[in-house]
Amino acid sequence: MTSLKELQDSFQAGILAGDDAILGEINDSAREKRTVLFGVYRNAYVARLAEVLGNDYEQVHAYLGDEGFADLVKAYIDANPSDQRNARWFGRHLPAYTRTTAPFANHPEVSEIAVLEMALNDAFDGPDAAALGIDELAAIRAEDWPHLTFQPHPTAIRLTFDTNAAEIWSALKDETAPPAPVRLPDPQAILVWRQDLTARFRPLQAEEAMMWGEAAKGVPFGVLCEMVATFAGEDNADLRAATYLRSWIDSGLLRGCQVETD
Amino acid sequence: MSTKKPPYLGFGLGLRPQHYDDILNGSPAVDWFEVISENYMIPGGQPLRILDRIRERYPIVMHGVSMSIASTASLDMDYLGALKTLADRVNPKWISDHLCWTGVHGVNLHDLLPIPYTEEALDHVVDRVTQVQDFLGRRLTLENVSTYVTFGQSEMTEWEFVTEVANRADCWLLFDVNNVYVSAFNHGFSTDDFLHGVPRDRVVQFHVAGHSHEETHIIDTHDHPVCEEVWDFYREAVTHFGPVSTMIERDDNIPPLAEVVAELDIARNIAREVSESVRLTAAE
Repeated sequence: MTSLKELQDSFQAGILAGDDAILGEINDSAREKRTVLFGVYRNAYVARLAEVLGNDYEQVHAYLGDEGFADLVKAYIDANPSDQRNARWFGRHLPAYTRTTAPFANHPEVSEIAVLEMALNDAFDGPDAAALGIDELAAIRAEDWPHLTFQPHPTAIRLTFDTNAAEIWSALKDETAPPAPVRLPDPQAILVWRQDLTARFRPLQAEEAMMWGEAAKGVPFGVLCEMVATFAGEDNADLRAATYLRSWIDSGLLRGCQVETD
Repeated sequence: MSTKKPPYLGFGLGLRPQHYDDILNGSPAVDWFEVISENYMIPGGQPLRILDRIRERYPIVMHGVSMSIASTASLDMDYLGALKTLADRVNPKWISDHLCWTGVHGVNLHDLLPIPYTEEALDHVVDRVTQVQDFLGRRLTLENVSTYVTFGQSEMTEWEFVTEVANRADCWLLFDVNNVYVSAFNHGFSTDDFLHGVPRDRVVQFHVAGHSHEETHIIDTHDHPVCEEVWDFYREAVTHFGPVSTMIERDDNIPPLAEVVAELDIARNIAREVSESVRLTAAE
């Protein structure tokens, strides 16, 4: 008798690879042939994962259209058998898949739209942490400010896009005609995070992107101000740095701060 | 290990995101909620926050779809650890999953796959249930699944297999009324044989759900209201088992909460009629 292990191997190969050996182990029913009955499992695997990808990548779907998205879904499912108990993470390779696989790789905005959707999904159910409040900063003594370091909210992630994918995503989300895809003259930084319960993103100008990157590494505020001054001029450099910091706090982008005492 | 039989909870629904607002803003006539465990095995954010608020007001039962208890792959201890962490947070009345497997070789097919009813499979499943119960520190509740194929090598009926698993592994049973109906149609057995074939004292929960009839076979889709035939079988099940915590599963084409609550009233009415009939019979 075929062992349970062999039977399960064969059953799985029947679903994933279309291998018909399993049909020798199963019965026709009184009303239906075994090929049709086993087909229920084959169809369900693809249908279920297609539904997961459709939910996770709504704007990739909108951008490619039904037919294009169906082609992508089929190719992705064939290339990436699910290795996750939780289907929530089945689609996590889609950004890399579309970046490296023709014909999608010829349209780099597709992968970047997917990157943005995945980042928003990850922010939505990412780790919880109370956001740093303005009251906590108000309690910091003036002489300690130069030594103040900041911890980003655990859901905050900075992306870098070569195309106008964020603009395309926003238009699709609003159900308006997306702009034509273009390669940007300079890479664009995008911050994605969750504010309270809402996943958000916004583009960053170069100076703010620089300061965010350094702040996230634990560079203290005094040094951040000097870096801002070097980046775009000393005039109002402290004010510019303080304005960025204030907007991060108002947006819930930071989880905490501390005075470095070295 | 806690071996006390779970309490009778009344009539519940599956917690679905489409209904979050109506549940939190109203007080729907639902006695308890069943959550899909995997949907809350996530780091944080809105789903867990909402679950915390709902569990303050309603008893919660955790229902998993990927424990893969009958798989010949090794037990996934990361999965079981995450399940236990969620249980510590939610404090569910019980934890259930399906008497099936979902994949081997590190692959998950996201489906409830059928088992051959053999002595080999029985020994394997009993051993695995025992291991999982030891790890979780509580008895598992296992559900019979809808199946579309049978195996030539099976040596016993499904209800004999289910009974042996429950008795030997000392676990509870979730009697899915719709799944028995679906499998009975697909494989040509009598729903009554299944009903009378499983141990009454092990059954702690009923599922009822809608399905899709494909003429030669039925698929367990949970995307329709419960049909008359399944309600009739539910009546038989309540008559046979007595009061058992009952919930309606709806996973696709999900209607507004009020509609599912109204459907739950059908279950309540059937259970009330059965109980009154039993009382009248006893009084005669």
